[in-house]
Amino acid sequence: MRPRTPLALLGAALLVLVGPPLLTPGSGADTGTQIPGLRLMVPNTPGGGYDITARTAAKNAEEAGLTGNIEVFNLPGAGGTVGLTRLAGEHGNGKLAMSMGLGVVGAVHTNKSPRTLADTTPIARLTEEQDIVVVGKDSPYRTIQDLLTAWKKNPGKLPVGGGSSPGGPDHLAPMLMAKAAGIAPRSVNYVPFDGGGELLASILGNKVAFGVSGVGEYLDQIRSGELRLLAVTGPKRVPGLDAPTLREAGLDTDFTNWRGIVAPPGLTDTERDKLVGLVTKLHDSPQWRESMKKNGWSDAFLPGEEFGAFLDEQNTRVDAVLKELGL
Amino acid sequence: MDSLNSLLDGFQTALTPAHLLWAALGVLLGTAIGVLPGIGPAMAVALLLPVTYGLEPTGAFIMFAGIYYGAMFGGSTTSILLNTPGESAAVVAALEGNPMAKAGRGAQALAAAAVGHFAGGMIGTILLVALAPTVAALAVDIGAPDYFAIMVLAFIAVTSVLGSSRIRGLASLLIGLTLGLVGLDQMTGQQRLTFGSLQLADGIDVVIVAVGLFAIGEALWVAAHLRRTTGEPLPVGRPWLGRDDVRRTWKSWLRGPLIGFPFGAIPAGGAEIPTFLSYVTEKRLSKHRHEFGRGAIEGVAGPESAASASAAGTLVSMLTLGLPTTAVAAVMLAAFQQYGIQPGPLLFEREPELVWGLIASLFVGMVLLLALNLPLAPLWAKLLRIPRPYLYAGILFFAAVGAYAVGGEALDLVVLLVIGVIGFGMRRYGLPVLPAVIGVILGPAAEQQLRRALQISDGSVTGLVNTPFSVSVYAVIVLLLVWPLLKKVITRRRNVTA
Amino acid sequence: MTTPPAPRRSWLRDHSELGVGALLLVLGVLVLTDALTMDVDIAQRGPIGPTTVPLVVGTGLLVVAVLLAVDVLRGGRGEAEGGEDIDLSEPGDRRTVLLLIGVFLGFAVLVGPVGFPVSGALLFWGSAYALGSRHLHRDPLVAALLSLITYGVFNNLLGVPLPGGPLMGVI
Repeated sequence: MRPRTPLALLGAALLVLVGPPLLTPGSGADTGTQIPGLRLMVPNTPGGGYDITARTAAKNAEEAGLTGNIEVFNLPGAGGTVGLTRLAGEHGNGKLAMSMGLGVVGAVHTNKSPRTLADTTPIARLTEEQDIVVVGKDSPYRTIQDLLTAWKKNPGKLPVGGGSSPGGPDHLAPMLMAKAAGIAPRSVNYVPFDGGGELLASILGNKVAFGVSGVGEYLDQIRSGELRLLAVTGPKRVPGLDAPTLREAGLDTDFTNWRGIVAPPGLTDTERDKLVGLVTKLHDSPQWRESMKKNGWSDAFLPGEEFGAFLDEQNTRVDAVLKELGL
Repeated sequence: MDSLNSLLDGFQTALTPAHLLWAALGVLLGTAIGVLPGIGPAMAVALLLPVTYGLEPTGAFIMFAGIYYGAMFGGSTTSILLNTPGESAAVVAALEGNPMAKAGRGAQALAAAAVGHFAGGMIGTILLVALAPTVAALAVDIGAPDYFAIMVLAFIAVTSVLGSSRIRGLASLLIGLTLGLVGLDQMTGQQRLTFGSLQLADGIDVVIVAVGLFAIGEALWVAAHLRRTTGEPLPVGRPWLGRDDVRRTWKSWLRGPLIGFPFGAIPAGGAEIPTFLSYVTEKRLSKHRHEFGRGAIEGVAGPESAASASAAGTLVSMLTLGLPTTAVAAVMLAAFQQYGIQPGPLLFEREPELVWGLIASLFVGMVLLLALNLPLAPLWAKLLRIPRPYLYAGILFFAAVGAYAVGGEALDLVVLLVIGVIGFGMRRYGLPVLPAVIGVILGPAAEQQLRRALQISDGSVTGLVNTPFSVSVYAVIVLLLVWPLLKKVITRRRNVTA
Repeated sequence: MTTPPAPRRSWLRDHSELGVGALLLVLGVLVLTDALTMDVDIAQRGPIGPTTVPLVVGTGLLVVAVLLAVDVLRGGRGEAEGGEDIDLSEPGDRRTVLLLIGVFLGFAVLVGPVGFPVSGALLFWGSAYALGSRHLHRDPLVAALLSLITYGVFNNLLGVPLPGGPLMGVI
């Protein structure tokens, strides 16, 4: 039996070393928009917002024949900053990108992450979504003016519900509103909930005075009359929804949530242009347009360096709000 | 009788050959993936989302429902056989199921779990059909003070699982509470016990704690004291549930849904707390209380039934309100949106064929799952026949895969190992492991609801008792605490008068 | 070389459970320090802030640590857990436990550089060896197959990527 042992060892070693590459078929050649072996990281859990954006984008890019198989993987944690840290550590890796959004900007601040979005190569902003201010159908507030009057009188007694933890979009929106209305952001009684479900229940049950959430989240409840929409937070009204913007209501502010894609730092110009080119082609594809329509996303395409400038501007804004809150 | 007619229509949809095929495929895939380490129902549904892209919506959702329920069935298999829960709803199944498996009653434990899932799913789905609108309306009224009251009740129930030494039980509970503190404070975003590590900012997952304490801790403990004299494989025993088993469990199967269903429907319910409450209830009511901890079949049957019923409850809130109460529901909601369908108050009017087809397919899926899992139970149980070194090496291997696969972070493995070493030490010094796991589940939830209630009431303590529901729960708690005293007084008085 | 007096050593061994109390004490101090050094300059409503629960848990740990120590000194002992595969009559086998911990840590270190299939096979093989399996030609093959199949199921069927190893992209 003795001589069989080295043979067994050799067989085992062969299996584990040669097996994996044989299991994975090679991807296409590195031509045109093709980036073989491209991986797209999602910094939150499967089913979350960044996840759906990433998986949809990957699928559409494959369907449109822009590139071979894009591998989507999740690295959740700390509002996206765990993923950001990994991305920033992959210096010069032109075959990696990460889907992200405004939430990551806030999370960098609240988690005191050593890596920021300045440590990434901006590729493009893809979509945006306004926030909405809603109350339950039995709420005493009929209009945004009713609500603002009551809110200014006693901010502490009007709990505001949102679906994100402090620093996230649903937290920033009411804080900006408060600031514009002359309420000290610190006196705002913000109650964070775990995502849209719990928040919806507490708005419907009048546990919170009003809720702030993404516009796509509660369309059906608004149409059926379970929720009353008081205002949208963006610069323009949302087609099909009968509600004023904050500016129309006399608050000098606007707020829009967005999602985009960034890549690791230290890419060569060719590598960066290639990624930007791929995302631009994706944006122009009929498949992507169809997906945006299906998911109710608004187009907010902003490629390359313009996106970088936009990131800087967002960072400054979030920083200012959170500093004021002592976060 | 409106819903009955709609349901009959639904069966017509669900029983077409194509839809039957999708349902069967769904339950098969779900069971298979549920057995894999680290992949619970939420991951299973999310990962299989792309598979269904090509289907029409009704077929896709029938398949989803199959995957969801199938993953729940499969999840308890690893819990029972390997002491390695794949998801938080299956943690409780390991408590009695694994000792049963070790004693050669693995097939019975698996069968009790399978029938439990079937009973829970069936009763839950019937309640879904009958009560959906009412339950949904009530669920919205449950707020933070009510949750906190339930948590207080659950904490009182913990005292019954502290084990023979109160002090050691409490020490274990406090270790769990400490692990639960790790991470960003959910209300203010403050870092607690993270030592500046981003990976710890989201806290330590209950599944990691359970797998660490149960599986790794046990493997190390066994390694230290492995019986080297006897090399016999574990006995597998009779394949089916005996008459005695059924007599002991039928009430547990029926009781489980009563606890599980309401919890599934309410926004912060989930399956962890109802499975735990069901476990404690079964322990209280059982005539074989001394067997608990050593493989009491009621302790598998009740919680598993509660887990499946809570899954049905989850669907109530999701379909009628568009309100995802668990991670799985959130993923399914996302899937609905992919098809341009918005679950919510208008769904039943807008897509009756889809909704009732889906509900009918739940019944079909349940029957398929039972037919699949009962014969599989003795086969799975034979898995324990492999030599002991392979068994425990396999447990370590699967625990490691589960911890590593999702995030791909080596740090998760280190955390898992550290918790495993804690579990080893706890076994050495007679600290029960269960209170620690309960502490990780209950601690953060209780704190969050308490603080949310106070936040909503702007800091006023009356915010904890301002709902009829919370007041009634506190009344029940007082009664539970006073009852033993009262009983003593009554018996004494009776003795005096007699 | 002086050997410590025998009774003293066995007293320590008999009371090794005091170490659990000491660990709880350390844990309690850690939790309390973390809570007390927290920056709580944040909009907080009501009496309960981010430090309240840690303070309660930390204090609880200290109290239980003291109670446990008292219990041990009075002769109370935690009952080591029994079980089907467990033989408590023999003293603990420290070597096997340390070997297993080492193998597991090795997996954590190696999985990145050498990929999952290799490190996973080593994890299974090493654990089985530590636990007393001596099938020198069967064990590595079982380990390699299990690891490769797991890799295939996760990576290829489910799309959960695992690192493949040094030969990825070379062949």
